[in-house]
This record gives sequence, C-alpha cells and structure tokens, in this order.
Amino acid sequence: MDYAASEPGTTAVSSALAIKILIAGGFGVGKTTMVGTISEIRPLHTEELLSDRGVGVDDTSGVESKSTTTVALDFGRITIRDGLWLYLFGTPGQERFWFMWDELALGALGAVVLADTRRLQDCFPAVDYFEQRGIPFVVGVNCFDGARRYEPAKVRRALGLSERTPVVMCDVRERGSVKEVLTTLVTYAVKGVTPGDTMEGVTPGGAVESATPGGTVEGGATG
Amino acid sequence: MTGEDPGPLIRLFGLTGGRARPQGEAFDLVAIVTTVGDAAEPADLIPEHRAALSLCRRPTPVADVASHLGLPLNITRVILGDLRRDGLVIIERPRPAAQTFDERLYREVLHGLRSL
Repeated sequence: MDYAASEPGTTAVSSALAIKILIAGGFGVGKTTMVGTISEIRPLHTEELLSDRGVGVDDTSGVESKSTTTVALDFGRITIRDGLWLYLFGTPGQERFWFMWDELALGALGAVVLADTRRLQDCFPAVDYFEQRGIPFVVGVNCFDGARRYEPAKVRRALGLSERTPVVMCDVRERGSVKEVLTTLVTYAVKGVTPGDTMEGVTPGGAVESATPGGTVEGGATG
Repeated sequence: MTGEDPGPLIRLFGLTGGRARPQGEAFDLVAIVTTVGDAAEPADLIPEHRAALSLCRRPTPVADVASHLGLPLNITRVILGDLRRDGLVIIERPRPAAQTFDERLYREVLHGLRSL
C-alpha cells in the first residue's frame, strides 16, 4: 500500500524497517569514533563516487572529461530485532558535500551534532542545517581529554540553540555514553521532549515535560 | 595529476556503465530491498547482481547490501536500480521516520538501545 503495487511478491516488504540517524559535526570531532563505538558491525568506510553535480573539484585527470569526485562516508548498524535496524551515518565534513547531506537527511529520524568546546564554531554549519530543515537534533559535547568542561546551558547559549534542544555531555569512546546520546535523540525526535536524568521515567506527558535549560542531561562522560 | 592508480575507480564505473545514479525512481540508502521470489534469473548476471539477489531473499536495507558486496553505496544503488528495472527486486519507498514511529516502535527502539 505504501508503494506502487505493480510488482508481484511484495508482501514481505512492509514488515522490515531501517531507521536512519545522522552523526554530524566538524572535522575530527569524533563522528567516526562514535559510529565505531556503538556499531555491531565494523563501521563501513566507503568512498562514494559522485558525478554530474558540478562539485568543482576533480582529481580524476585523465579519466574521461566528466567531472567526478569521491566523498568519504562512514556508517554503522544497530540491530534492534530481526527486521528493525538503526543505521548511523557519519556525514561528510566538508561543506561542499552538502548536497550529499540532503540525501542522507531525507527521512532521517534525527541527528546528533557533535561539538568540541575548544572549537565550538565548527559545528555551527551542522546546527544551521538541521534547524533550517526542521530535522530534530541533539548536541553531543564530546569531552576530549584536556578540554574545559562547560555547563550545557553555556553551550546552548553559545550555539544559539532553542531551550528545547537537548545538550548532552558525552565521551564518544564510551559505549554507555553513546547509548545515552542516542536514547536522548530518539526520545526528543519522537516525543519532542528532553528526557531527565532518570531515563526510566520517560512517560508520555510525564515529568519530562519541563525541559528547562538547566534540566538537560549532564555529566554523561567520565573522563 | 596525482599519479595514483585509477584502477578501482575504473572497475567501479565498469560495474555501472559509468553511472553514479540509479535508474528510475530515487530510493533511500536504507530502503528495504527484496528479491522477487518467482522471477527467473537471467543467465548473464554479473557476480555482484547474483550476490545482491541472494542476499535480498531476506528483506535487506540498501546500506547492508553495500556492506556485503564491499561496494560504495552509490555504486550499490545503481546495481540495485538495474535489478529493479529488470523486475528482479522490489525496493520499498522511503517512509519518513517521524510518521513511522508509534508508541510500540518507540519503546522497542529505546529498549533495544539500552540493552546493547
């Protein structure tokens, strides 16, 4: 019913579902590490061939005259159960590949924007991108060794985020921490609320409704 | 002029006849692909086509097909687009995640994440 019924044997399709989550942020902020920490398969790093997009950069001198380039893409998978998967896609860092983001973002449940407090400005483009398109996102502040700790509220202010957008301190090398970021995103994307410290207490219309700047998830990372 | 071996690039283009975009209606990187059970398999299929058909007897997302074939996603999509054109697979239209989620699915995903 969801698709053109012109082909035979279509009944098996509708039960399987793959959910897409994007991991964005500046170069070297930990996108690939995050995917690797939580993925059940070794994260796949592919060089995607692109053409016909007028990207303007061409390393294929001598290979026809067509403009062709490649972009690196990482993705990992989490199987929830047979026929239900979460896919994490690390978005290409360079801004000139934003047309690739458009494709990645289509139908995505939401995004994690990873931020490094030492160069917070690197995640501005990603924040802008998801805000403009109305794609739910959470900001994960990756607490690198030696980086100064900031209050989530300060990060929120520096990034000009709405009070509803969850800001989570995290360590993308820690499985538990990545899980917390993802559960926060799923809850925010589906329910439109930020879960409190007690994730178990998330109920529809429950106490998590009052998502104040100070009420976000804090202190996830333990350096 | 980097002097690098362009071999892999040439080989990948060979698989797709130089195309970087699949034929027909666009489909998502996580669209579910299913091999059409009663379709007769042409004799002249390339190994990548056969591998994809074999894998997708169980409904499989495009990204997983790429990982099994060890090919870039775009190349995989061209291959799957060709198989769809020939009536050998069907590819589910993308469903916006927000519309797909009901309470049960939400709880299932949260529970799954927490028990990782």
